[in-house]
Amino acid sequence: MSLRRVLNVVGLLQVFVAIAMALAGGVSLFYGDGDSLGIFLSAGVTLVFGFLAYRLTRFEGEDLTRREGYAIVTFAWATTGIFGALPYLLTGILDGLVPAVFESVSGFTTTGATVFADTESLPHGILFWRSFTQWLGGMGIIVLAIAVLPYLGVGGMQLFKAEVPGPTPERLRPRIAQTAKLLWYVYVGLTASETVLLALGGMSLFDAVNHSFTTLSTGGFSTRNASVAAFDSPFVQYVISLFMFMGGVNFALHFRAISGRPGVYLKDHELRFLTLVVVGAAFLLMLLNLVSGVYPPTLGGMEHALRDGLFQSTSITTTTGYATADYELWLPTGQGLLLTLMFVGGMAGSTGGSMKAMRVLLLLKQTGKELRKHLHPRAVLLTRIGPHVVKEEVLANVLGFVILYVFIFLGGAMLLTLLGIDIVTAIGASAATVGNVGPGVGDVGPTDNYGWMSDPGLGILCFLMIVGRLEIYTVLLLFHPDTWKRRGSYH
Amino acid sequence: MRVLIVGGGEVGFHLAERLSLENQDVVLIESDPARAEYASEQLDILSVVGNGASMPVLQRAGVRDARILLAVTSKDEVNLVSCLAASRMGVRYTIARISSPEYYSRGSVLSREQLGIDLMINPERECAREIVQLLRYAAATDVADFAEGRVQLIGLQVKPGAPAVGKSLSELDQELEGYHYVTVAIVKNGETIIPRGSSVIDAGDQIYVLSPHEEINRLFPLAGYEQFTIKRVMIAGGSAEGQYLAEFLERKGIECTILDRDRERCVELAEALPRSLVLHADATDLELLEMEGVAGVDGFISATGNDQTNLLSSLLAKSSGAHKVVSLVRNFDYLPLVPKVGIDAAVIPRMSAVNAILRYVRRGRVLTVATLKGTEAEAIEFKAREKSQITGKPLKDLHFPKGGVVATIIRGEEIILPRGEDYVVPGDDVIVFALPSAIPEIEKLFE
Repeated sequence: MSLRRVLNVVGLLQVFVAIAMALAGGVSLFYGDGDSLGIFLSAGVTLVFGFLAYRLTRFEGEDLTRREGYAIVTFAWATTGIFGALPYLLTGILDGLVPAVFESVSGFTTTGATVFADTESLPHGILFWRSFTQWLGGMGIIVLAIAVLPYLGVGGMQLFKAEVPGPTPERLRPRIAQTAKLLWYVYVGLTASETVLLALGGMSLFDAVNHSFTTLSTGGFSTRNASVAAFDSPFVQYVISLFMFMGGVNFALHFRAISGRPGVYLKDHELRFLTLVVVGAAFLLMLLNLVSGVYPPTLGGMEHALRDGLFQSTSITTTTGYATADYELWLPTGQGLLLTLMFVGGMAGSTGGSMKAMRVLLLLKQTGKELRKHLHPRAVLLTRIGPHVVKEEVLANVLGFVILYVFIFLGGAMLLTLLGIDIVTAIGASAATVGNVGPGVGDVGPTDNYGWMSDPGLGILCFLMIVGRLEIYTVLLLFHPDTWKRRGSYH
Repeated sequence: MRVLIVGGGEVGFHLAERLSLENQDVVLIESDPARAEYASEQLDILSVVGNGASMPVLQRAGVRDARILLAVTSKDEVNLVSCLAASRMGVRYTIARISSPEYYSRGSVLSREQLGIDLMINPERECAREIVQLLRYAAATDVADFAEGRVQLIGLQVKPGAPAVGKSLSELDQELEGYHYVTVAIVKNGETIIPRGSSVIDAGDQIYVLSPHEEINRLFPLAGYEQFTIKRVMIAGGSAEGQYLAEFLERKGIECTILDRDRERCVELAEALPRSLVLHADATDLELLEMEGVAGVDGFISATGNDQTNLLSSLLAKSSGAHKVVSLVRNFDYLPLVPKVGIDAAVIPRMSAVNAILRYVRRGRVLTVATLKGTEAEAIEFKAREKSQITGKPLKDLHFPKGGVVATIIRGEEIILPRGEDYVVPGDDVIVFALPSAIPEIEKLFE
């Protein structure tokens, strides 16, 4: 493990972040809100640091090792989180370092938890920066860097694996840089399509762009205090539901469908499972809300109940975190259902967070297999996804992941209760941050925010967000002593 | 007609035996000198020792005069090369035994036509297909299709006390007015007879009956059986035959349990058979068989590679209450045991392939042939031609050879189960049941 090489790549990535900041500065300048100086200043600081770190640590030859890959990705996300906080600080919008870093990390990890009580009072440049961090974090800054910088080459695969969610990322092209590029093309294309549709639906261009950024990245930052509920148009809400769902779908699958094979959507078993979960939960929520009288039993009320049910179930399952309804007014069963959905997440290879539909599906199948094993003790049973047999190692890996995930979620909740936070809020906040969802339950519900939380609490949540975004192993490996041993015969 | 057979294993030996009984000139090419010598001692054939894929050996065997080459060694590649060489040297028909799906399936690199091979036969698959047929009619010991399955031949063992016992065929005919069927052979105490109207059916006889597909089920009660359909099957032994069988059954939606004692093999089976339950167990582990519900299965097939295990496992299953029990038997000496110990049917793995190949060898005039276990008799489907001697005269005036009987005439859509006054016209498909000695004479009638 060479820290020099790690610093080199991390520095380079900060140059990207600086460019992105300058873009937000441009937006700010365009709207003339007066905060552009602070944003440009942040971009300058970030650029200088990034450039120096990159130049002073240049190295030749040798590809990145697996360990370095993990280290780079983790440090890159932490560093990006910190530099991404500069615009909030240097414009004077936030004065505490921790809340600013929290907002930045929540952005890049596409969580969507915010410390702002009144987002509508924020200047355009800052609003754009919030959404933009989510958009960059959605497909992944490292994937972007791999797409643009051929020099990452072979080592790039290590980084790619460490950043892209899911058990095994698939290659669309023999070269990893080409794969990364294609994924970004699809991402940009879908974002542009949503922007057009939202603008047609009556949103201002600024709102349309911001919401598209945070929809496809399954981030969930909104420019409005009331989130998507502020746009009282069924069309807009259905469009956003659809694109949230698409953000939760494997982008490699989107690519195949767009390149002339739309049939792949129907054949993919993980997608079928995700659809079943989202639509099933939507109908359950609708029924619960009609029975409990949250919506009137008229035709219009039923449409509204269905729309809100669909929106909420998609938003939470794909870990976006938008709201069109205050689900804390719903029956406890409905809230419990949403809390459960926080653990599903999008598909592997999507921008969604949490455990991922594939892992949940495998876990269910594994459970079914164990039950069957009791009935037929001598049976040789295999787990299949469609016609494909899933290898035992993959299953073991999934089980390990799920156990770690649950431990981290519980650990996070316990730590929060130590800070005096009530148990419901602690569970909600922990599940919502480790799953990159955003709003939780209790005092961090859809109409609340995280601004009231103390610095240690926000710090814990920042850690949970990064651990969740990088799918635990990448981060936890840095805490394993073997990672820091000198390079041995294997690496 | 000279027939070259490459490979003197089970399949090759039986092919040589049958073809030489039908007065063909058979040359067997076998690489193992002992086997080659054994074959030429036992059968009226010529044996050549050597590799069937080598040119000098093929020449020594007289490939230039051969009309048919049957490559049936256990090595796919040898069979392919042998057929390829033979067809280049002017052999008219080549048939290869091929076991790897890579070579015969649609995905193969070179198609059958490109290789110049007329027929590819997978013995294990043919065997599994035969078992599927047997399971279709639970009471039958044999099932064979004719005329694309519109007419079927079934073998039944007559139970004591069955309605047919003690009656002559002409008495039965009167009783069963309106039924369409022909009794083509009766095996009494191991002896095959081609029956006349006066032949009497006794309990324990094996009778072979031809009937249209849709009427087959009506015949079972005559021999003392109930009608029955198979829904759950257990296969003991994950041999290639067992696996193919499970694949066929899965496709028909039949619930399937398959067991093997080798764990690695079980994993392979589980991968290939997504809808079957695969158990890692021994075929003779009675406790396990009972726990997995052998008593309730409609079909139990023992398909391990070992005859003794198969027979023992079948016996255990039968005594536990499995409905129809079929055993794979490789050694012909065990065949007479099968009905005696109460096993419903036996399948000889290699014979299915032998039948399939014989069916093809007589191509042109002969459409289908089935050899029946435990009998020398064969059911053969001929096509009557313009100048065939058989046409134009009522059957009773034909002097049809004694060892044979015209069992069915298929005229377009019409199926005729003939009486003495019926006659054959050109274009008819005619099913004849005959002993091997009578076959050449019958073939002449159709020339």
